[in-house]
Amino acid sequence: MRVGIEVGGTFTDLVVVDDTGVRTSKVPSTPARPDEGAMNAIDAAGIDPTEITELVHGSTVATNAVLERKGARVCLFVTKGTRDILLLQRHDRASIYDLRYRKPEPVVPRRDTFEVDERLAADGRVVRALDEAASEALVRDALAQGDYQAAAICFLHSYADPTHEEALARIIRAVAPEMTVTCSSEVTREFREYERASTTTLAAYVQPVIAGYVTRFSETLAARGFAGRFSIMQSNGGRMPAEAMARNAIAALFSGPAAGVVGAVRGVERAGYRDLITLDMGGTSTDVSLIADGEPELAAMTKIDGLPVKTPVVDIVTVGAGGGSIAWADDGGLLRAGPRSAGATPGPACYGRGGELPTITDAHLIRGTLRSDTFLGGRMDVDAEASRRVFAPLAERFGLSLEEIADSAIRLAEANIVRAIQQVSTERGRDPRDYVLVPFGGAGPLHAARVAEDLNIATVVVPPNAGVLSAAGLLLSDHVHYRARTRRLRVTAETIAEIRATVEELQEEARDYLASLGIEADARFARVLEMRYVGQAFEVAVNLGDRVLGDLSADDLSELFAEAHRRIFEFAKPHGDPVEVVSFRVGAKAPPPETVTVKTQDSPSGSAERRARLVERGEALDAALLPRQALGVSALPGPLLIEDGSSTIYVPPGWSARLDATGNVILERES
Amino acid sequence: MAVSPVDQAVITRALIAAADEMGVKLIRSAHSPVVREAQDCSAAIMDREGRVVAQADLIPIQLGSVTHTFRACLELHPLETLEEGDFLINNDPYAGGQHLPDIFLFSPIFLDGTLIGVTATVVHHIDLGGGAPGLNPNAGDVHEEGITFPPSRYSVERDWKGGPFERLVRANVRMPEATIGDINAQFAANAVGGERLKDLCRKFGTETVFDAMDEMLDYSERRIRAAISAAPDGVYTGEAWLDDDGRGEEPVPVRATLTIDGDAIAVDFTGTADQVRTNMNSPYASSISSAIACIKAVLTDPDIPFNEGAERAITVTAPYGSILNPKPPAPVRARLLPSYRVVNSVMNALAKAVPDRVIAPGFDTTTVSCLSHRGEAGYNIYLEIFGGGFGAGAENDGCDAVDSMLSNCSNIPIEAMESDYPFFRVDDYSLRSASGGAGRQRGGMGFQRIYRILEEDVTFATYGDRFRIAPEGVFGGAPGAKAETFVERGGQKIPLASKQQFPLIPDDRLVVRTGGGGGYGPVTERASTLVSSDEHDGFEGNVA
Repeated sequence: MRVGIEVGGTFTDLVVVDDTGVRTSKVPSTPARPDEGAMNAIDAAGIDPTEITELVHGSTVATNAVLERKGARVCLFVTKGTRDILLLQRHDRASIYDLRYRKPEPVVPRRDTFEVDERLAADGRVVRALDEAASEALVRDALAQGDYQAAAICFLHSYADPTHEEALARIIRAVAPEMTVTCSSEVTREFREYERASTTTLAAYVQPVIAGYVTRFSETLAARGFAGRFSIMQSNGGRMPAEAMARNAIAALFSGPAAGVVGAVRGVERAGYRDLITLDMGGTSTDVSLIADGEPELAAMTKIDGLPVKTPVVDIVTVGAGGGSIAWADDGGLLRAGPRSAGATPGPACYGRGGELPTITDAHLIRGTLRSDTFLGGRMDVDAEASRRVFAPLAERFGLSLEEIADSAIRLAEANIVRAIQQVSTERGRDPRDYVLVPFGGAGPLHAARVAEDLNIATVVVPPNAGVLSAAGLLLSDHVHYRARTRRLRVTAETIAEIRATVEELQEEARDYLASLGIEADARFARVLEMRYVGQAFEVAVNLGDRVLGDLSADDLSELFAEAHRRIFEFAKPHGDPVEVVSFRVGAKAPPPETVTVKTQDSPSGSAERRARLVERGEALDAALLPRQALGVSALPGPLLIEDGSSTIYVPPGWSARLDATGNVILERES
Repeated sequence: MAVSPVDQAVITRALIAAADEMGVKLIRSAHSPVVREAQDCSAAIMDREGRVVAQADLIPIQLGSVTHTFRACLELHPLETLEEGDFLINNDPYAGGQHLPDIFLFSPIFLDGTLIGVTATVVHHIDLGGGAPGLNPNAGDVHEEGITFPPSRYSVERDWKGGPFERLVRANVRMPEATIGDINAQFAANAVGGERLKDLCRKFGTETVFDAMDEMLDYSERRIRAAISAAPDGVYTGEAWLDDDGRGEEPVPVRATLTIDGDAIAVDFTGTADQVRTNMNSPYASSISSAIACIKAVLTDPDIPFNEGAERAITVTAPYGSILNPKPPAPVRARLLPSYRVVNSVMNALAKAVPDRVIAPGFDTTTVSCLSHRGEAGYNIYLEIFGGGFGAGAENDGCDAVDSMLSNCSNIPIEAMESDYPFFRVDDYSLRSASGGAGRQRGGMGFQRIYRILEEDVTFATYGDRFRIAPEGVFGGAPGAKAETFVERGGQKIPLASKQQFPLIPDDRLVVRTGGGGGYGPVTERASTLVSSDEHDGFEGNVA
């Protein structure tokens, strides 16, 4: 029996797969002790923990530790002269006209930052050797200043040679054997000291929290007789055995959204879709990402609470457009939708929990694209009158009918989502027309067709179990481990051997690491070189794909780079212009031992065909209202509203809907 | 014709997103660290009449003046004469430009033969010739500061791409690969903006986009006017002082008279010092941008799109021949120094109208740190732009060690610097304890950077201010610390002036210290928790 448990902000979802098929359960999350919610989900599904052979878990524990500033007390060791590295940051302001601007607050204060007298040059040469005896005295003195649970080390140019960092780590471990020690060269071996220091301190900050969480959860599971394999989702969309994650917690910082993307990718892969754009729309925001050839794109850097994190993360763009997003008019008279949200409490006005502001969910009730009698499969009572009441002032202000203003608000939210998708597609040189749109989350399928239309996407694929896709994604994910290294090498016939050797070396390291965790499956490799024209400072990610390393010539590599550069910047320099590799990122991926087929669940069949009146894009429509299971393989023309458990699929006029062989609902635009 | 609310909102956001994308791509494809790491550049989209409708939020001073810079081009080359494949260029401080290094590049965008708009980028280029690499603090006129590209029209295919104009540029700059690379990045960003503009016109129809652009200007104007209306009518004066003109020791005054009348503001700088011999003159376009940026920051929400509509409610005048509207051929390279005193004098005047909305004076100075090395392989020029501490607000300590408000340059990572400029090493980069003016709210701290010189033939060039006159505190707050620069050579300390050039030798330690911001309110009222927090962090000087 295999179980995936995804702890979200509001709900904890569980998917279980065994010989008898697939079951799901959904229970409220328990934010203070997320593992309790997870155990509740196991109990709610009626699962005997002794029968679980494989448990995959995703949670927001690491994210929340940072956002709520509940991580460990960390001491930071830096090169002499750089004590203020976390406070100086990059000397810029995120909001340029804000006179009262404050920088993001680092997780380690100045009082806990200590300078070590050592120095390397940019090429790794030792300028000032690390004096072991003096360093030990310094470490003893530093550790006496606070009740530290973890230590972080970030020395200048340690990406070029980690020897000094490793030496200090040994000294700290000798002085304080219980202390977790994190070296920057281990977390992210890439240049730019502030970003690396920020990542390293965040890693140290969440480490004891995750370690404690994993240990406690493991013990609870063990006490209930669980003896299977326990692994955890990482930000890069792959999983890691829990005991390894307890040593590399930073990798789990964005595990939640990543699981959803993996669920979507694996969910539609059996139907042959490998190029997709995912659209995960929830209550407060929408996450979008682009998947080319079955692999989620990874971003080399992201931010949390304004602080940079340099670890590979599934490249997700988040926009403040969700069911709870508030429609409003600004003081210049422009209609806006979001980014402010009524969230889950008070929530949309129709929830009757005190929400008095017009939201996207309210707009759907007014327009008729959501219905009070079938809201959340009929499990929730909503007050459509309240929706109309809160939209009335806005309608009056713009001189529109209630239906028109509701329709406009929804179109604005959809336009915000379109722009987010353009960020991951058009702006990165990818044509959205080459992709299918895969919506999930409560509200995704309701907007997908119109969003697709704006992007000239012809096909929308709604996977089964769209509501628990993240939990399913956990079970479907690979074991993944990434290694990165900064090594500047100009691409020439002379250096290509060294470039190939570096990739080879990282492949071996990543594979050996997986093997050390007992994961022996044949690993595939994702190999990305960060490259640029000599003289540029920002790199373009060049994916080697499945190219055979031994055949890779300097010309091939330069050409791959030129293609990638052209795609993003719409130009490339003439062939022969010098090109260099700056960093290498290599991931080893081991697939799960057997594939899991998550099939759609049968829900009680609906009654005879019903009709729904709705207003959409300015037109009054009479749409058929169907349950998902009423769909067949032959296409039905829109307008249709398809009730699908916890979500509704909207099929506009000009689109059709059908079921495919693997249980996906396929929406297609008439050409 | 009125555009529907939803189309209006969608087009507005799409144009702002397109300008942002231009900015991001400009930075990421540029060559010089001053663009790619420090981000000293801007991007904008203009309508078919050459009015700025959307801008990337990058450098406030550059953004405000795009319109003026383009106007000068249009006087010679009216819009109706432009053709597909043309570009316009201008860096002439006496024809709508700012200072020479900021090259403005404009690309007219056509769809089916019709001009639908213009995309614009401006980049601070690392070296454009002149009397010294990167920066010539001794320039006696604008010609010694580098090459001027007066407002001109060229063809990309004929004149750039190996053509005569590209060869002219290449022949007149010290780091041609960097300069040509950065101009190419400008062309690429303009092209990206052009594609987005064309997509919008194809989708919504050209006329709808034009109407939506008109409304964007009106929208910003309405919001600015609404904000001005909320401030009390009256005539308010303010002043601020520069240390000196870079040669003498006499302080140089900037005086502002603000007239708030209903929903409009007029700013007049009569009474401001005459132009000076050195490079501290602010071209008219810079002076206007600075005054508008300050008024916008004080009176309005940060989310009002800054475009030409925003300028309709504000008029700015400065006497011809003054430091804020100089006559040619006065040198202008350090124009941000008087521009910041424009900000201080306008803020000082606004403090009398809306005391709760202003902050204390900050360090408010651009300090340029330029190190150049002439080696076997030619010139290698490092240039970085430093801010300092922000002034404190009524309820917040000033931001520490951040670029000043007219600019927004990032620092260059030490690891990037030492990799690109092997002729020096950074020994220290730290906050200056006790540099923020004490107060109930403390001024932001300045910082120090220490460079160790590793090679022969290295020259330091700089300009800065607030070496003599510190930023005042307000409502009982103490002033922020002053700036200083010196060289440690064999146990000796050689003080440097705020504007000068200085040859360095191996093992010199060059120390650059920027100042802090003024405090707000008496320090005796500072919360004890803040005092003890500063103490714990080893920050001194902010105690009663």
